[in-house]
Amino acid sequence: MSGAILALEGVTKSFGPIEVLHGVDFALHPGEVHALIGENGAGKSTTMKILAGYLDPTGGRVTFEGKPITFTGSDQAEDLGIVMIHQEFNLAEHLSIDQNVFLGRELKRGLLLDHKAMRVRTAELLSRLECRADPGAQVSRISVPDKQMVEIAKALSRKARVLIMDEPTAVLTEKETEILFRQIERLREEGVAILYTSHKLGEVKRIADRVTVLRDGVMVRSDRTADVTEDDMATAMVGRELSDLFPPKITAHGEPILVAESITVPGIVHDASLTLHKGEVLGIGGLVGSGRTELAEAIAGLRPRQGTVRLNGAELPAGQVAQAMRAGLAYLTEDRKGAGLLLEKTLRENLTLPLLETFGRPLIDHKREEAALDRAIADFAIKAPDRGMAVGDLSGGNQQKLLLAKTLLSDPQVVIIDEPTRGIDIGTKQQIYSLIAQLAAEGRSIIVISSEMPELIGLASRVVVMHAGRIAGELSGDAVTERGIVGLAMGMDGSSKDHAA
Amino acid sequence: MTTATNTLTRRPRVNLTVIAPLVALLVLIGIGMALNPNFLSWANITNVLARSAFIGIIAIGMTFVITAGGLDLSVGSMAAFVAGLMILSMNMLTESMGPGLPVIFAGIAIALATGLAAGFINGILITRAGIEAFILTLGTMGIYRSLVTWLADGGTLSLGFEMREMYRPVYYSGVAGIAWPIIVFAVLAILGEITMRHTAFGRHCAAIGSNEKVARYSSVAVLRVRLATYVLLGVLVGIAVVMYVPRLGSASATTGLLWELEAIAAVIIGGTLLKGGFGRVWGTVVGVLILSLIGNLLNLTDFVSPYLNGAIQGVVIILAVVLQRNTGAAR
Amino acid sequence: MKTTLIATTALLSLTAFPALSQTVGISIPAATHGWAGALNFHADRTVTRLQEANPDMTFVLTTTSDPGQQVSDLEDMVATRNIDALVVLPFESEPLTGPIQRIAESGVWVTVVDRGLSQEGIENLYVAGDNDSFGRTAGQYFADTLEDGAKVVVMRGIASTVDNERVAGFEAALEGSGIEVLAMDHGNWNRDTAFNLMQDWLARFPEIDAVWAADDDMAVGALAAIDQAGRTEDMFVVGGAGMKEMVQRIQNNDPTVPVNVTYPPAMISTAIEMTVLGLTSGAPLSGEFIIASELITPENAADYYFEDSPY
Repeated sequence: MSGAILALEGVTKSFGPIEVLHGVDFALHPGEVHALIGENGAGKSTTMKILAGYLDPTGGRVTFEGKPITFTGSDQAEDLGIVMIHQEFNLAEHLSIDQNVFLGRELKRGLLLDHKAMRVRTAELLSRLECRADPGAQVSRISVPDKQMVEIAKALSRKARVLIMDEPTAVLTEKETEILFRQIERLREEGVAILYTSHKLGEVKRIADRVTVLRDGVMVRSDRTADVTEDDMATAMVGRELSDLFPPKITAHGEPILVAESITVPGIVHDASLTLHKGEVLGIGGLVGSGRTELAEAIAGLRPRQGTVRLNGAELPAGQVAQAMRAGLAYLTEDRKGAGLLLEKTLRENLTLPLLETFGRPLIDHKREEAALDRAIADFAIKAPDRGMAVGDLSGGNQQKLLLAKTLLSDPQVVIIDEPTRGIDIGTKQQIYSLIAQLAAEGRSIIVISSEMPELIGLASRVVVMHAGRIAGELSGDAVTERGIVGLAMGMDGSSKDHAA
Repeated sequence: MTTATNTLTRRPRVNLTVIAPLVALLVLIGIGMALNPNFLSWANITNVLARSAFIGIIAIGMTFVITAGGLDLSVGSMAAFVAGLMILSMNMLTESMGPGLPVIFAGIAIALATGLAAGFINGILITRAGIEAFILTLGTMGIYRSLVTWLADGGTLSLGFEMREMYRPVYYSGVAGIAWPIIVFAVLAILGEITMRHTAFGRHCAAIGSNEKVARYSSVAVLRVRLATYVLLGVLVGIAVVMYVPRLGSASATTGLLWELEAIAAVIIGGTLLKGGFGRVWGTVVGVLILSLIGNLLNLTDFVSPYLNGAIQGVVIILAVVLQRNTGAAR
Repeated sequence: MKTTLIATTALLSLTAFPALSQTVGISIPAATHGWAGALNFHADRTVTRLQEANPDMTFVLTTTSDPGQQVSDLEDMVATRNIDALVVLPFESEPLTGPIQRIAESGVWVTVVDRGLSQEGIENLYVAGDNDSFGRTAGQYFADTLEDGAKVVVMRGIASTVDNERVAGFEAALEGSGIEVLAMDHGNWNRDTAFNLMQDWLARFPEIDAVWAADDDMAVGALAAIDQAGRTEDMFVVGGAGMKEMVQRIQNNDPTVPVNVTYPPAMISTAIEMTVLGLTSGAPLSGEFIIASELITPENAADYYFEDSPY
């Protein structure tokens, strides 16, 4: 193997008095895919940002092609061929795809922009990524996976020598992930050094040549991927043996509590019906864009709809979130940052927002709010260095726990949880899974919407699968298998509906 | 972890972002004292506070509108229109009822009701018809301004002599030497600060301005709260007019000219974010005082050419905001 | 003032002439302050009256709030309304000179009101008040009534040529009188601004003997501030332009408001009437009509009081 192109030597990083990286050694080699894994808050993001020139190390040094270097900023790093793809998209929503791909490095003919050349080049890049989006389409109108592909196209167009990818597959389906992997393999053959992070250990095993595990700002192990198992990785990340990821399922259910009939959201969901029983965990599967989220939002009163929703026999009017919440139905959004939490507000302000009126009228009792936060921090094991901090500065896992606490504040009988563990480390995942089981054991009823098959299979005793806005079928008991769900989700006509528990 | 973090809960955080407007105000007062001994005279202080009251009362309402992510450019024109309508109806009532306190009460009621209605129209069109607040209020700004010009036939609407004398004390007298406008301004400022910080309405305004979608998903009645901010602002415009009319007893096409910009400037100087999501009423009060003091100081001295008054104001506004943004940029 | 009366009389005798279908364009500033409001009032009233007298004649009246808009209005008038005569009160001299010159060159009769163009000889008829005389008349009254060493403050209008001419006239009249001008600042022809300005001056100067407010709107604001400070006895205020309210106070021998100076907004009526007269009679009245400012005193105040004027 040739020498490292980009490396960290004994790098430390402090934010104020808190040191988050304690002497990390890490090297990227040309033609190698290097996975960096760790729980949320382990220091992965900080490490990547130092490598890509967004942050300066507090101690230690960064070397590029063997020589120490201090980046003046990410643009200098980019000039050297070090490109980072952020987990949160860095796209100008109102510009078209090709305008985004060439943003800041527009192709010109004389003084004027060469629109045609840029469009052609973008089309080439997209077709290499097997992405069928129109290069002229406005980014705000394309799907989330397509946005990820645009980000990757952008990086490809920059002739990257080092490519740093922060959880690129979090929003991709398995098929799209496969396409991405083919591109990664192609880049590897071209000699690009790739840093890859993911919470999906199976993917790491599949694509990475080398895997490095970070825990609490310390590099705990670094091995050839071939030499470690997924369990080894998980154990190294968490620092303890992970018991069974999913708690045992409860299969005995009570009366129907939530009955949705012929729900239609024009253009998105068509005539979908489902029934949820007391104490049940019902899964909703299907591809991203199949109408899962829209169905849930329509039931929760967040979208205009046709059809009826009955909770405990009483009908819930359409488009009335507050009324649904008061009746005992709560919805936890998949879009944590866009629709779930106020990122620049404190934990307390976020926690009590849906039920502010119950914390005193006309004046809010701050003491009661603080007490509620104390309970939430304890019950959900939220780790916040400072209670007065902005929620945006919390790690993804802690944000998700806070969002759960906020959703459950109204003590709902029925909870719809959309993507309970997106972008969350395995330790927190396990906590959330056991919490869901505990909620069900308390007699609450839960709907889990997820793109992760193991999650649906591990949690739900019954799974409804959506395809193209319709309910494609329902699986229960032993029929809840990966093949069964995928078959329905892809629109294959299965007889699985008849399978009994 | 929980116990460890609890000790950090109430750490006092004094930073320049928070106190920048206060510092600017103190600096201005210092300059004033150095330049003119009359600056701190009771009469001058009363004058400055009383004349700040109109824009101040409006700016309190504007703080809520801006915090909730809105904007209202129509308040200056609205004030002129409300004042015009109030004077006109008081003159008509004097003819039918004869001069007396009932006419004043009727006038006040009309001012408040007109302000409420005007705010409601702005709010309902913004929330239900989904018109961009900037454009809608730019439109109503022109409408109210034309209406008052039309009401006044291009001239000045003046309150009848007898009513003017009777109504006059509302501006000029007060309690314990403190003029009524100052008292009303102070009371409203305190109520506004409490509403912003300690009620569900204030918190909801901040949540909507911060991220409307999150607020909606958290079952906040986004449209209703947003509408309420415009109605509140309209009522406060009405109250400001009730204080304004007794001063000169007249309204014309130039009444309230540029008040909207002064009110918005005061809100921003005070530390409220123009894009919404965070607002504080006490900051707005400080902002209003800063703006009034600049004018007052320039009148009290020959320090700068009067042609440059606007430039001095501009520089102070920018400095006050830069001071906050620089120290606050860390986040 | 006399000229106005003669012209009006002449016109009334001529209204019986056979009517011609001609178009007169009138462009004046919008009613943004009292005086301009009165200007609009008079223009509107005159147009209504002349329209009745000349049913075939068309009048196009536009009001503008800035010079740029006025240029556009003038262009529209020429392009789409095909005017035969134009009566214009230029918002500002410099930017309007070129456009008006082109209109005059195209053969349209041009009457310029109040604010002169920056080049001579463009207009056919010029009707104006006399700003120098406006300031000088007030200044002369100060010089005549105040003692040597008296202290005065001066409230100016919006910074403009009009304002500069008035203040220059005022200062020229004060020369050698020994009167001290304590402060001079812009009240922008606005009541509220004037009120605040006067409050601050009262706080700053313990002794003020007289106030010259170069417009009655500002005088109203100044008077309210003086009244509030309880210093009504100490000084008098001279405004300008003959607002109804002021004229009334002069009539009542109010010591605080002893006199006023005219600057009649009705000059627009004179200008329109003379223009129409020229068109209908075929004997155009050209030249310059300068209406000098006069001092309104308790003795002659009754002549300057117009009950139904808005100003």
